[in-house]
Amino acid sequence: MAKISIDPITRLEGHGKIEIFLNGDGEVENAYLQIPELRGFEKFCEGRPVEELPRIVPRICGV
Amino acid sequence: MAKPKLALYWSAACGGCDVAILDTNEKILDIANLFDIVFWPIAVDFKYHHIRAIEDKSIDLCLFNGAIRSTEQEEIAKLFREKSKVMVAFGACACFGGIPALANFTSRDEILQTVYLEAPSNSNEQKTVPLLRTKVAEGELELPELFDTVLTLEQVVPVEYFVPGCPPPVDLILKLVDLFASGKMPPVGAMIASDKTCCDECDRIKEEKKITRFYRPHEIITDPKKCLLDQGIICCGPATRGGCGMRCVKANMPCRGCFGPPPGVVDQGTKLVSSIASIFQGDGTEAINKMVEEIVDPAGTFYRFGMADSMLKRKRLQKS
Repeated sequence: MAKISIDPITRLEGHGKIEIFLNGDGEVENAYLQIPELRGFEKFCEGRPVEELPRIVPRICGV
Repeated sequence: MAKPKLALYWSAACGGCDVAILDTNEKILDIANLFDIVFWPIAVDFKYHHIRAIEDKSIDLCLFNGAIRSTEQEEIAKLFREKSKVMVAFGACACFGGIPALANFTSRDEILQTVYLEAPSNSNEQKTVPLLRTKVAEGELELPELFDTVLTLEQVVPVEYFVPGCPPPVDLILKLVDLFASGKMPPVGAMIASDKTCCDECDRIKEEKKITRFYRPHEIITDPKKCLLDQGIICCGPATRGGCGMRCVKANMPCRGCFGPPPGVVDQGTKLVSSIASIFQGDGTEAINKMVEEIVDPAGTFYRFGMADSMLKRKRLQKS
């Protein structure tokens, strides 16, 4: 099945790619949005002092 | 004459470095006039295949922000290195690992476990976790592989210049652009920042430091004119490069080291331990133990932005 990749998706904050699968007639059969990025704030914020978190979590998204 | 080509990329980052470039306000128009922007995901629509198609070394300046923590990010860093004459590690993440390198206190498996399976806000009854390859009815989907250890840009590709900061301040961004535009770039390897420490540039009143205890913010009301460290607040200024404009300290917040170590210092955290040890006034094991307990999360504080660049690099991985 033919595939169109939009990689990276642009004009937004963050990382993403879109895979579009085309059927034999060239029409869209299905499309998938994938996020190829993970930093792990949920994990690495553990153990940090609570008063430091307002200086750490703004870096989830700086836009 | 053709304009020099500029590429901007974000790797493991938050987009704050890109916004810092937009924070140049009307000067962004000068940057747009000066350069032909060939890649900038936040603002323009070029794709990776456009970059793969151009000749090697045809990008004059690449400002690369973000740390490297996946196979895709490593591949894109190598792609931009191949295509760029001058590669700049832009911002604390690219220079030192930044906040994403706090992940070096944990591991890929622990992160995936917490993020996808344990986080209380999750609704993931099927226990889905990201896979490198996923078969779907129409074909196969691929995701990059996460590394256990977050890396700096220079640990992956050679880098000509470094602009530190989380994010880099506007005056340093404009300085970089001016230096490049006027052909006056410093010797390769230069940090576009100050050669002094934050402490040297801080105008708070400093006395001879004699610390008898350390405080957390809720335990003390600080004097905004006096050195925070003098008042028993952990401040990373003695082991941090200056040039930041003292943005945190002016807001009555202690430095957390986003400009990395000053010249001549290899390991920022060790330097801070040394600084703190030399100003602490207390005799005997009991006093020292009490002081150590007053510093909550020393590793996560002293290496807040610099874990990937440190001599430690990461917490030892548990063998399974």
